[in-house]
Amino acid sequence: MICAPLGVVFSPRAPAVGYRARKIRCAVAAAPAGIGGGAGGSTLYDVLGLRAGATVREIKAAYRRLARERHPDVAGAPPAAADDFIRLHDAYATLSDPDSRARYDRDVVVVAAMACGGGGAHYRPTTPPAAAPRWYGGASSRRPRRTWETDQCW
Amino acid sequence: MTEQVYTVASDSETTGEDKSQLSFPDVAIGIDIGTSNCSVAVWTGHQVELLKNTRNQKGMRSYVMFKDDTLSAGVTGGAAREHGHEERDILSGSAIFNMKRLIGRMDTDEVVQASKSLPFLVQTLGIGVRPFIAALVNNMWRSTTPEEVLAIFLLELKALVEMHLKHPVRNAVLTIPVAFSRFQQTRIERACAMAGLHVLRLMPEPTAIALLYAQQQQQLLHDNMGSGIEKIALIFNMGAGYCDAAVTATAGGVSQIRALSGSTVGGEDILQNVMRNLLPDFDSLYAGQTMDRIKSIGLLRMATQDAIHKLAAQEHVEISVDLGGSHKVSKILSHGEFEKVNQSIFEKCEGIIKQCLADAKLAREDINDVILVGGCSRIPKIRSVVLGLCKKDDSYGGIDPLEAAVSGAALEGAIASGVTDPSGSLDLLTIQATPMNLGIRADGGNFAAIIPRNTAVPARRDMLFTTTHDNQTEALIAVYEGEGKQAEDNHLLGYFKITGIPAAAKGTVELNVCMDIDAANVLRVFAGVVKPQGQAVPPFIEVRMPTLDDGHGWCGQALAKMYGSTLDLATLPKKLHP
Repeated sequence: MICAPLGVVFSPRAPAVGYRARKIRCAVAAAPAGIGGGAGGSTLYDVLGLRAGATVREIKAAYRRLARERHPDVAGAPPAAADDFIRLHDAYATLSDPDSRARYDRDVVVVAAMACGGGGAHYRPTTPPAAAPRWYGGASSRRPRRTWETDQCW
Repeated sequence: MTEQVYTVASDSETTGEDKSQLSFPDVAIGIDIGTSNCSVAVWTGHQVELLKNTRNQKGMRSYVMFKDDTLSAGVTGGAAREHGHEERDILSGSAIFNMKRLIGRMDTDEVVQASKSLPFLVQTLGIGVRPFIAALVNNMWRSTTPEEVLAIFLLELKALVEMHLKHPVRNAVLTIPVAFSRFQQTRIERACAMAGLHVLRLMPEPTAIALLYAQQQQQLLHDNMGSGIEKIALIFNMGAGYCDAAVTATAGGVSQIRALSGSTVGGEDILQNVMRNLLPDFDSLYAGQTMDRIKSIGLLRMATQDAIHKLAAQEHVEISVDLGGSHKVSKILSHGEFEKVNQSIFEKCEGIIKQCLADAKLAREDINDVILVGGCSRIPKIRSVVLGLCKKDDSYGGIDPLEAAVSGAALEGAIASGVTDPSGSLDLLTIQATPMNLGIRADGGNFAAIIPRNTAVPARRDMLFTTTHDNQTEALIAVYEGEGKQAEDNHLLGYFKITGIPAAAKGTVELNVCMDIDAANVLRVFAGVVKPQGQAVPPFIEVRMPTLDDGHGWCGQALAKMYGSTLDLATLPKKLHP
């Protein structure tokens, strides 16, 4: 999910008559911020209410517990439950897979380093999707390339 | 869950529905409409109960008998009296069955082509239109549709429940095969609407079984017999028309569907393979349905069905049947030969399971339980294939292979209707997954998957696209579902245009296409221009899918021919995960 190319906020107009009156916000920028980005500044660990070193079992347990509160099928779920659940599931999907978790953890370090250095003026904080965040060249060439050392740290 | 308004019903019906829901809060019933058998179950307040018809059957044959002006479905058994007579009646040309295989399919579909050997009329033109289906009434073909046939037996099932509960019912949860396209799902909803039923959920069959399994695991925990550790189950379900597999991870009453896969292979294919083996000139013999051919094909079907059932328990079976005319079949069928003629089916079953495990990123050692359900799970070779793949000696024992799907649907019906049980037996949650990729046509006929299969539901994903021509002001969004790399290999769900794109050099405008599946499995597609911004760009478009009612084949080809290159889009892959 979530491409926030230029922070476009998109919300559909009033639903058509005779149509289900359920509001949907398209993800574009209403979507949660991931690493250090956006207003919340929360990490995926925060979404699950865990500390960064949590074990796989803790991650699974937290996901299940929160799913039982936030899934739209749960009785009395608020209208925004779907958004909440999608955020929760994305956090879980990234952190429950060792590879994507390692990549995510490395990204957090990169962001922290960039923030400290103050050099990353053009750096756009990324939102880690369910699948692995990707490194890419081109426009964001200021972003440091993956280094062996960072791998070793984590 | 939140209240949903059913869109197939007319406006007047929709407003009427709200009132009736207020006057008696009914609990959704569970219905399993199988290719060959159907059943219905209700939540009685503390457990799930399968209902029996007047002839004391829980599993009723899925057929509709056409006689003079009366139609009767297999639920009440119609006019038929004793068993042997009934089977002959069903195969006489007057009864229509196997409609779950044909619903929502075009006549180019190989499943429809294979159905031409059924003992009633399935006429195809092979050009991507609906097949013509008809039953024999007083020596004339009377036309019908799969929706009509399903609606008739849904109506009888509904009447059965109402007789039992002594109050009207409106809401239902139905199980569907994993391989059902979204278009086929709308046809099921249509059949339900015709029968006066409101579809609360359509549940892929193995996920209904996963729910039942989760409930049993919770029960073990309550009885202090379970460990509370996550249990992984592989569910394999094979009926007459379809075959599905799912991997579910269950703990604490939450079952997460990790992967789903399915195919249109089933008992019907096994039956046809054996019939062709018994009668090598089957296809030439039965081309064109004359009265004596229908009778003969019915006799062959009956004898073959019987032989396959017997083979489940014995090493050989003797088949001896006089097909009329000068045709006689007299043969001893052994296990070895049965397995040889159905080799390709067993291989497909293996493929489905392997794909499911790969998608769930699990090794067979991770599986705690193998659950085998569906009529074909009684076939020894199917059992050995599935258990062998999962390195298990035996399957999970606590689930009835023929009643599991409908029981799970009734459980979901109770949960989705907001029923709570003091003993906690409804304290369950299933996190569903999408069975197929959803995406749009882009990059010259390719399929760009926006929501990949096995994404947890509710889901929302988006992708950026750009124009392929300088000053391109319109773009076609053609939405497809399926596993093919080319758009044309998938099911077209609908299409719309984005117009008024600001004129610019190709590759500079950015369009966002977002797909949203809510908890009730409704798919919406949002699309619009996100770069440049401002007042000069058109408003976003929201479309609920599928929008097509018919003729996917034609439509997809026409779209590709007319607009494929001029209104094409290119993916901006690097922006998928910025």
